[in-house]
Amino acid sequence: MDELSDAAGVPMSAITNAPQSGTAERAERLARAWRLWITAGPGLFWIVLFLVLPSMILLAIGFFSIGNYGNPHLPLTLTPIREVAGYSILGWSPANITTILRSLLQAVSAAGLTILLAYPVVFFIIAQPPALRPLLLLFVILPSWTNQVVRTYAWMELLGPGSALSHLAQTLGLLPPHLGLMPGLLAMQIGLTYNYLPYMVVPLYAAAEKLDWSLVEAGRDLYASGARLFWSAVFPQTLPGLLSGIILVAIPAFGDYVVPTLLGGGKSMMIGALIAAQFLQTPNWPYGAALTIFMLIFTCAGLLVFRVMSKRLGSSEGSML
Amino acid sequence: MSGRLPGSLNAFIAEPVPATITGNRAQHLPMSAPVAAAPNGSIRGAIALEGISRVFGGGVIAVDQINLTIQPGEFFTLLGPSGCGKTTLLRMIAGFETPDAGRILISGREMQNVPAHLRAVNTVFQSYALFPHLSVAENIEFGLRMRRIARPERKLRVDRIMALLQIDAFARRNPAQLSGGQRQRVALARALVNEPDVVLLDEPLSALDAKLRAELQVELMRMQKRLGMTFVFVTHDQHEALVMSDRIAVMERGRLLQVGPVLDVYEQPRSVFVAEFLGQSNIWKFATHAGNVAQTPIGNLVVGAPIGTQRTAMIRPEKIWLYPEAEAPGDRPNLFPGTVREAIYQGASTHYHVELADGAMILALDTNNQAAERSWGPGEKLVLELKPGNIMLIDG
Amino acid sequence: MSSRLAPPIRRALLLSSMPVYLLLYAPLALIAIFSFAPAPGGQAASLHWYGALWHEPDVLAALRRSVMLALGSSIFGTGLGTLMGFGLSRFRSRARSGFAAAIPSLIIYTPIIMPSLVFGIADLIFFNLLHKATGLFAAGLLTMGIAHVTFQAPYVALVVFARMSGLDPNLFEASHDLYANGWQSFFHLTVPVIRPAIIGGFLLAFTLSIDDFTISYFTAGPGSTTLPIYIYSAVARKGVAPDINALATLMIATVIGTGLLQYLFTRQKERRPMPRAGD
Repeated sequence: MDELSDAAGVPMSAITNAPQSGTAERAERLARAWRLWITAGPGLFWIVLFLVLPSMILLAIGFFSIGNYGNPHLPLTLTPIREVAGYSILGWSPANITTILRSLLQAVSAAGLTILLAYPVVFFIIAQPPALRPLLLLFVILPSWTNQVVRTYAWMELLGPGSALSHLAQTLGLLPPHLGLMPGLLAMQIGLTYNYLPYMVVPLYAAAEKLDWSLVEAGRDLYASGARLFWSAVFPQTLPGLLSGIILVAIPAFGDYVVPTLLGGGKSMMIGALIAAQFLQTPNWPYGAALTIFMLIFTCAGLLVFRVMSKRLGSSEGSML
Repeated sequence: MSGRLPGSLNAFIAEPVPATITGNRAQHLPMSAPVAAAPNGSIRGAIALEGISRVFGGGVIAVDQINLTIQPGEFFTLLGPSGCGKTTLLRMIAGFETPDAGRILISGREMQNVPAHLRAVNTVFQSYALFPHLSVAENIEFGLRMRRIARPERKLRVDRIMALLQIDAFARRNPAQLSGGQRQRVALARALVNEPDVVLLDEPLSALDAKLRAELQVELMRMQKRLGMTFVFVTHDQHEALVMSDRIAVMERGRLLQVGPVLDVYEQPRSVFVAEFLGQSNIWKFATHAGNVAQTPIGNLVVGAPIGTQRTAMIRPEKIWLYPEAEAPGDRPNLFPGTVREAIYQGASTHYHVELADGAMILALDTNNQAAERSWGPGEKLVLELKPGNIMLIDG
Repeated sequence: MSSRLAPPIRRALLLSSMPVYLLLYAPLALIAIFSFAPAPGGQAASLHWYGALWHEPDVLAALRRSVMLALGSSIFGTGLGTLMGFGLSRFRSRARSGFAAAIPSLIIYTPIIMPSLVFGIADLIFFNLLHKATGLFAAGLLTMGIAHVTFQAPYVALVVFARMSGLDPNLFEASHDLYANGWQSFFHLTVPVIRPAIIGGFLLAFTLSIDDFTISYFTAGPGSTTLPIYIYSAVARKGVAPDINALATLMIATVIGTGLLQYLFTRQKERRPMPRAGD
């Protein structure tokens, strides 16, 4: 194959009375394209038909008027978008903005907590003999293979009004009697952190395993304290993994549905539950769709920031295909 | 791995040659096989390229209007620097690429539009490309299986070729468990077992160390002569080309510069590029001449033949005679005194970089048949004789 | 590498990571303990709630549906995903770049990065409209299966693509050189060579299907309650309950057991390069 790329070095002066364009090349390209379509075509078509197209429809519904049964109706309007921003016939209300901000905050703090928990675990695993590492990593991942509902349910058991943890909080005076640690913001935070911890550990581990220890050795002579050594020689090298981890935790946590509905309760509404309610309970599809548009804007913004930052770091994260 | 010629091959040479290997060649590819067999035996294995061109994206011409005929049973080498188009040419014969223009005839049949799997041609790849999920024996059997040859015959032919190449000991192993040299033999066996009209070899020895490469060069050559198949060999290694080939073609920038028997191409290069690519050489351009005396930068040079339109003189380093200053024959033409600037001892021979009186450098080679008495160190003076008969004239 | 860390640091790492492992397993362990709660009116730990599950036809039906859904969607998703990973690796033009060339990758990554909730609701609406228009695609196991295939296929494609990228491209040419046509090459070379990736992709697809709740929940119909949906509805209705503990314990045990077995199996295979008999 190198012949192919080397051939590019042939100067045009060498090209005299030979055919102008590569007809064979065009035929080969057509044959490749045809084979690409019969192999990858069905799968790509499937995804477009059952996800890309439905998502477009969903987003489009955000620009429709609401019909009698909560269904989308002509004419096109910006009312649902305005409603999401808080404007209604009753004036402006901050409820939706609060919900979006609360969800963002929950997602960001869940990412932060997983980072705090993940670093010691990752370096603990790295410090073990290579043969042992996959097993230790597996033990971090295993719980996430159980269904999310089961994992969240486990915390209902732990944080409910009758649980030992709630009793402890009640005796310490942190919690009024007969109430549990659940439902509430704290329970939701714990649930999100627990659910998404492995999504932080795995990319961080991948980055830490490739760590260039010679840099650490060199830094050992330069920096007196271990903490400074970590911040200047180790931490920067784990940044690509950390970035992926933040994306993998924050994006699903932001739009999570199970944790807010099981652990959050009615008072601390989150955007995921709010959107779902527009389709499952009080049907108002245009409003729900408009909320979805906002959610996707935040998601895309997050991905964009991630791309820009990882490009700046020179990492090839996410460029596999 | 033993570098000696396999004992079984010696035994094989002594025996009558089995029909399936070199016998009635027209029957090699059974009618059930979807492979275009030669119409008659006489031109089986012949290759004719007529005006073959291939253009890559961006208008880059990889192969430019090549005409070439390769005889049945010939060991033919395409030699050139990387990027000269030799691999593209080989891939077009194999059927992995289609030419933009021209005809490819294999065993007298037009093949340029026939897909690779219908050509009676097999390739030995540079990377060997052994199938990782199959054992050695299964790898070799693959082609026969695809052609739906009956199992007993398959086994017979696989066993025979494995014995011939001395790889029967690891028939059950996986390619990953083999050394480089063993893989190379398996790749060769996988091609030969099909008894193709033509075997194509794309730098098959380049991944091996020097000693093993030298052994396999000889073995490959003997194998080819024994089986009588046409081998088309691609390499950028001029030494390899010299050792193995009946004829070679030197390629550059998609064109054939010179085609001929090894000796002709080496002794009578028709261009500066060929002279420099194949072996070492001293080359001088000259603008004027008088009779058979060329007026070159190093002085007047008497050449063996009358000068026509040629304007370049060339002499190989090993064809220069060296004399100690005192022993120089005074009465002959083309004597150049000089000072050794560098002496590179290479065991069998020594390379001398000699500076002539006017500062020009010349490369000379002396065989070390009497190294103890006759050698020069840097700074020492000697006299070079460029015998007129050893000087070649080149166009351009 | 492990020896580069000073003993006090290693001790600190051990002390700070053990609580994390505890955090990961304590909730699951607690469910298991509570699942052995005494029978109503009893005092001692019992298997009562497991027995109760066995006599609950809804649970058994949900289990059957979960397995059917996971198996069916994984088979289909693995097929589509394998073809996709194979095709993109083999036939995508390397010469071209830019937006047009990136479209297949964009499509493949869509299901992976799309938040489950949006995914689920988009399909909910789509199948709803489709059903109104055609009378087909009523919400149920079929629509759930379609949605599952949509998120399984890209993951399988990525696994297969990664395996394909590790292969010598000459292998495919070698097969054609040895008289294999396109289909023969696919079935005699490609499929066996990427078999580990196909099996791995299938297991991944199966796990993804079993693990999914949100997308299933929004694409499910009245008669297609799977195990996670059953648990979710029961929990949302009546909170913590001992029979749910028993059911959850069984699910946790299955997943962890399968995970460990798979680990041991793959480790075994890595240690011993496969000796293969002739065909």
